[in-house]
Amino acid sequence: MTALAGKYKKLKDLHPEEAITPGTGLCAGCGGLDGLRLALKELGENVLICNAAGCFTLLSVYPFTPLKGSWLYTTMGAPVPAAQGVRDALDIRLQHRELPDKEDLLVMTVAGDGSSNDIGLGATSAALHRNLDFIYFCYDNEAYGNTGFQLSAASPYGSATQTAPNTEFHPAGTEFFKKDLFEIWKAQKPTYIATVSPREPIDLSNKFAKAKTMSGSRMFICMSPCPTGWGFDPKESDLIAKLAVDTGMFPIKEYFEGQVTHTKRPQRRLPVEKFLQRQKRFRHLFEPECRHDIIENIQSHVDEYWSHYE
Amino acid sequence: MYRIRLHGRGGQGIKTASQILGTAAFYSGYQAQDFPLYGAERRGAPIVAFTRISEKPVLERGPISSPDIILVGDETLLDDPQAAPLCGADESTAVFINSTLETSVLQQQLHLSSSLLKLNLTELCIQHLNKGTVLSTALAAAGARLVGMITLEALLKAVDAELSQQGIGSIQENLNLTKEIFQNLFPVVLKPRKEKTISPSEIILMEQANIEEAAPIILSPGNMILRKTGNWRVQRPEIDYEHCNHCLICYARCPDGAISLGPDDKPEIDYDHCKGCLICAQECPGHFINTVREAGVES
Repeated sequence: MTALAGKYKKLKDLHPEEAITPGTGLCAGCGGLDGLRLALKELGENVLICNAAGCFTLLSVYPFTPLKGSWLYTTMGAPVPAAQGVRDALDIRLQHRELPDKEDLLVMTVAGDGSSNDIGLGATSAALHRNLDFIYFCYDNEAYGNTGFQLSAASPYGSATQTAPNTEFHPAGTEFFKKDLFEIWKAQKPTYIATVSPREPIDLSNKFAKAKTMSGSRMFICMSPCPTGWGFDPKESDLIAKLAVDTGMFPIKEYFEGQVTHTKRPQRRLPVEKFLQRQKRFRHLFEPECRHDIIENIQSHVDEYWSHYE
Repeated sequence: MYRIRLHGRGGQGIKTASQILGTAAFYSGYQAQDFPLYGAERRGAPIVAFTRISEKPVLERGPISSPDIILVGDETLLDDPQAAPLCGADESTAVFINSTLETSVLQQQLHLSSSLLKLNLTELCIQHLNKGTVLSTALAAAGARLVGMITLEALLKAVDAELSQQGIGSIQENLNLTKEIFQNLFPVVLKPRKEKTISPSEIILMEQANIEEAAPIILSPGNMILRKTGNWRVQRPEIDYEHCNHCLICYARCPDGAISLGPDDKPEIDYDHCKGCLICAQECPGHFINTVREAGVES
């Protein structure tokens, strides 16, 4: 049996309640917000979110919060230590009967790719080592979006960012391949890891439904198309998310009991250009002249990944 | 010195408009300063940008509270108390509004002592650029013409320079748009402004408060719904209920959760909060969600 014994089959099955209200200051068309919204539909209101500084700082702007659950704001490096503190405090108070059992909360870290891959990774590794009982939600828009789209370790090779623009000496823009956070986490054997996309709400909901029933560290990477930073019309957010999956650039998978399963396989992988050419951050690969060499590097990186699974 | 204030929404190119305007003034032999001002909010949220133009070096800094010219790119901002685009307008100010309405209708609604000008820039952008959501060139061209001393040559050169620098294609289309707007407007004659003296406000002494009272704790979960983001929209999605087959894709895809399900799983758009990203219209498999331009001062 795979880890994903699907509870949901169609959109009608999604949890009817919203745990996050509209009215936030996040960009129109934010893919990460849809991911979090769908996740919280499943997890419900009894959640305490430890939120790292990042785009999702804008979720709660004093004196307003869109969340029906609790929220604790932390620095970019500290959402996981905060989750550890909250979990410990809850456990101790429950143990001493200072809190009734129904007051227990699901502790969740929400952090961007910058916090997850760069600044907060050390603390996350420490928490995985202790098998902290929490859910980690990384909204991955592949750069430091909140401060104007600077390079993070999740920025893909060939993309232009504020701090890695394409220049005569750096024709690709970002010169390194994206850090494989899934594999880094997997090396520490947490309870559960999954990648999700807001474009696949049923797959996403099933994964959170499954994770909710488990204990220990449950890790999520959510593909988060970013109209502002990636440079596309907000209405194309889900189209971009779909192309990321169809080109094989963003594999949708899960890790459970030592096994990696791809839960949404592209039927026939499309060439990576289909994903790249719709975004301003990759425009220098096509104009003024087509950089076949760089595109070919991106394609072979994707092919190499899938060669292990196809 | 000319003090120009530009209003619009994040993503409409208001900052770029202020840059084009400043650069055009510079190419016409003037000193110029331009900069935007926005808070933590994003694409769709109200933003304001400023351009100062002078024969002498511009030593003044900071936002412009008494503008000579106000350029309003998005008329839905007019009744937004936070954006307050007409704030500081007096009889020495010229107010330009990108609007579908007639000047007389606007004047009736706004009761301004300032001189009022309008042109349907969005329509011109749709004609020339095939889209009406980015107003950078159009608003800069309108501003440059109203100021008067900017030449068409300098303006075209500035449009070319700023758009090339940002890697924007369709430069020729933007240049044609610039020419048309330049020909459709005339320089305004501004009444000389009486400089007001500003007196310092009284200092408020802060008292130490208890940590329980002073900590930023929110005890009302989900109260963000009180904040409306509906006025971020440039275009509005409208569901064609005659054809909608309740497939729920729009409901699942809306990032803000602004589409709820009514009886019989009928999707209903919450226009108080819909930011107008139009993902729903794009994703609707049968194309049963239409997009309509938001326009008009809502009375």
